[in-house]
Amino acid sequence: MGSAFDAIVIGAGLNGLVASAALGRAGLRVLLLERGPATGGEARAMQFAEGFRASPLSLDAGWLPPVVARGLGLRPDLVASETSAAVLLGNGQRLAVARDVARATQAIAAHSARDAERWPGFVTKLGKIAGFLESLYQLPPPDIDTTSLSELFPLVGVARKMRGLGREDMTDLLRILPMAVQELVDDTFESEALKALIAAGGVQDIRQGPRSGGTSFVLLHHLVGATEGSIRGRPAVKQGPNVLANAIEDVARAAKVSIRTGTDVAEIVVRDDRVAGVALASGEEIGAPVVLSTLDPVSTIRKVDPVWLDPEFLHAVQKIKFRGIRATALFAMDGLPDTTGLDGVVSCTPTTVALEKAYDAAKYGENSERPHVEFSVPTLRWPDLAPAGKHVVVAHAQYVSDKSVGSDKSDGVADRITKTLEEALPGFASRVR
Amino acid sequence: MSAARYDAIIIGGGHNGLVAAAYLARAGRKVLVLEKRPVVGGAAVTEEIFPGFKFSVFSYVVSLLRPEIIRDLDLPRHGLQILPLESTVTPLDNGDYLGSWADPDENRRELSRHSPRDAEAMIQFGRLMQHMALAVKPILGMVPPDPASLAPSDLAGLLKLGTHFRSLGAERFHALFKLMTMSSADYLDEWFEFDALKATKSASGIIGTFLGPRSPGSAYVLLHHYMGEIDGAFRAWGFQKGGTGAISNSIASAARAFGAEIRTDAGVEKVIVKDGRATGVALSSGDEISAPLVVSCLDPRRTFTQLVDTKDLPDDLVEGVRRYKFRGSSGKVNLALDGLPDLTCLPGYGPHLRGAISISPSLSYLERAYDDAKYGEFSRHPYMDIVIPSMIDPQMAPPGKHVMSIFVQYAPYHLNGGWTDAKRDAFGDAVVDTLAQYAPNIKKLILHRQVLTPLDIERITGLSEGNIFQGELALHQLFFLRPVPEWAKYNTPIKGYWQCGAGTHPGGGIMGASGRLAALEMLHRTRAGS
Repeated sequence: MGSAFDAIVIGAGLNGLVASAALGRAGLRVLLLERGPATGGEARAMQFAEGFRASPLSLDAGWLPPVVARGLGLRPDLVASETSAAVLLGNGQRLAVARDVARATQAIAAHSARDAERWPGFVTKLGKIAGFLESLYQLPPPDIDTTSLSELFPLVGVARKMRGLGREDMTDLLRILPMAVQELVDDTFESEALKALIAAGGVQDIRQGPRSGGTSFVLLHHLVGATEGSIRGRPAVKQGPNVLANAIEDVARAAKVSIRTGTDVAEIVVRDDRVAGVALASGEEIGAPVVLSTLDPVSTIRKVDPVWLDPEFLHAVQKIKFRGIRATALFAMDGLPDTTGLDGVVSCTPTTVALEKAYDAAKYGENSERPHVEFSVPTLRWPDLAPAGKHVVVAHAQYVSDKSVGSDKSDGVADRITKTLEEALPGFASRVR
Repeated sequence: MSAARYDAIIIGGGHNGLVAAAYLARAGRKVLVLEKRPVVGGAAVTEEIFPGFKFSVFSYVVSLLRPEIIRDLDLPRHGLQILPLESTVTPLDNGDYLGSWADPDENRRELSRHSPRDAEAMIQFGRLMQHMALAVKPILGMVPPDPASLAPSDLAGLLKLGTHFRSLGAERFHALFKLMTMSSADYLDEWFEFDALKATKSASGIIGTFLGPRSPGSAYVLLHHYMGEIDGAFRAWGFQKGGTGAISNSIASAARAFGAEIRTDAGVEKVIVKDGRATGVALSSGDEISAPLVVSCLDPRRTFTQLVDTKDLPDDLVEGVRRYKFRGSSGKVNLALDGLPDLTCLPGYGPHLRGAISISPSLSYLERAYDDAKYGEFSRHPYMDIVIPSMIDPQMAPPGKHVMSIFVQYAPYHLNGGWTDAKRDAFGDAVVDTLAQYAPNIKKLILHRQVLTPLDIERITGLSEGNIFQGELALHQLFFLRPVPEWAKYNTPIKGYWQCGAGTHPGGGIMGASGRLAALEMLHRTRAGS
């Protein structure tokens, strides 16, 4: 098989786009294959109702490491929403926390003066720890077994960065990362509304409740790349959801990357214990000495004939936990009852106990009777995602068992989401188109 | 001031206090141990609660006692005699049972009956856990280095730690990392399929914590319970002849043989601090005793906020102690029985009665028990670890009678509405009713019943919130973070005031490691003249 390409990248989500653009710019001949009709993966806004578009998979813009943007010659115009997060408390009450610390403090003071006093220190501390994670995330994971100096060097760098935090922040880092987010909020705050607002950030997309260890890390992980004062959500490209993916695609094309959408890879071809290329679902084979997969680990190894894989490696990959627990609902809205403070991530769960109770069902493989629903209103930032005066609401509901997808159990989930939104935001249901 | 002069006063005659006393006395220091109760041992005591019936009232089995302590203090000469607890039987809801026996072949046959795959996996699992316990072992014997410090001794400690982890090799390091962070249910799911097996094993991961088997962090507690070593055999649980109080007595006897003085009925009210230095203690009786070293074996809350004035301590430390989690989650029911329980799954007399009976039929059973406690109630159907010590040591009960020790989880310290006598009885009833589902004759056999809630445990032993480990074994409360950052090396900001309880590294269980490490550190530092 003659190789027309030096590398084939499977999947044209943002990671696939970045990888192929980077390889292309390094002079390699790259082929990028995407099963779907367009590049961009979960970042891509798609039309879900006549005239209404949304990117369904995230309430948060995610994080584009500056080193990646620089490496591709991009200067994205990133802007954060004014409100970081809000929680709806029922009876029309809400607590909206701005990124601006002074305004946030003012809003929190209505619930607890003591909490308001502690807020600036709290977000500064989280910001410092997230900043450490940010530098950690830009290093490849170190190999513990290594004896080579070049591998050890980043480890030394991590250690120095960590000690560079200073005594207090460093011990806080080591102390807080494994904690339950419930413990973290209990240690600092007394207002239930504020605790619930923060704790919701610790359970996003994980089959754990706020009292489970490690959920403080989840909160911090999602603060990597956030602006100062944030408790949820990171800056997004000002011009809209598709702009970044398009820009990276442009970089890739300029670097002569061939992009084929609507192309399903059936197999990663291995010959004589090394990768030889890919076989498409259509039967076509394309040769290349290097194949990069952006699919998840299990989907990736399923594309390789297991005879080539070490059984222990296979076993280890099969142990990886996925456990999706979130259902997404997109709403095309004729309007919204009251949009004050809804420009960030909005939680409909007013207490940490309600959050924990929603999780309980998931432990037994069931769907929450009263799901934890969070939403964002992308049209508050990008009005052109909907016809004039209309809105898009992207709602995420936890905990929905991955086993219920496509089964009878998924019936009723949509109704429960709408019901929860109506309770949290009276007048919501009647405005759904 | 009384005339007697001591080099060191140890507050609290729990096993760690006694171990510390013995090591200090062995090094030639003049030591006085002060215990508020009439018996030494703290939570490791044997008491004749009902005439003729002796109970290991709180802590009831042993495996974690450090072999170097047994050796250094020559404890067998002082009465330490641990009888093996060889089996565990888990009654299942379908009327069958899952047995775990001392004989490996028998054990394997039994497990194969339920799952041949698990029987295979168990061999590898046992080996890996032994490796993991060995991997952690050096850390148990190490004063935690402070990662934020630049002092040569701390840097050397960190280097030693780094070298140790690298010497494990990638596979074991990764396994250890998983154990440190995962839930015991997830960890065991990677190995086994039989639910009752996973449940019974994961039970070790919840003991003494306010976690369920599906809570991350519980795998570490599982490992903590694997670190036991009896006669060199890992994961061997045993029963002390005469009850766990006899372990405390053997350590006390060793301490006395080295010249330590031990006073019971001597509660300490305050540590006397002058110019930032501890100079002695004031007893509840009003007496004052002076010594240049004062060592608290009590938990961090009592050590830092009760025995001394928080004004003498830095704010960080006081804040850290306030944050430190106790959250007692377990209770104890001690029964005096007229005969032996008859298990539906294994009727009549049998070797299973000489071992443990674990009420842990499924992971969901344990998790639901936790759910009750999460919202402030005791478990309606609790996890129970049951032993009948009189089967192993007949002297614990009158002839023909028996004592039964039931460790129960969960019973939250902060019960909705608070603990009352009625609530305590209801809790005791829930335990007996649950047991009766598996051993229907139990109710007829009960002659006496003692029910201990976490509040009772706190009142009697002084353990804050009734936490049996002097604070949860959560990742953020371990090693150089136990009890609080910067003060994890047994010393305190008050000169001459030290801590040696299980609230310091490496933590709870009848282990004695905290007492030993504290004593060695004190000897090292005071010799160096600080």
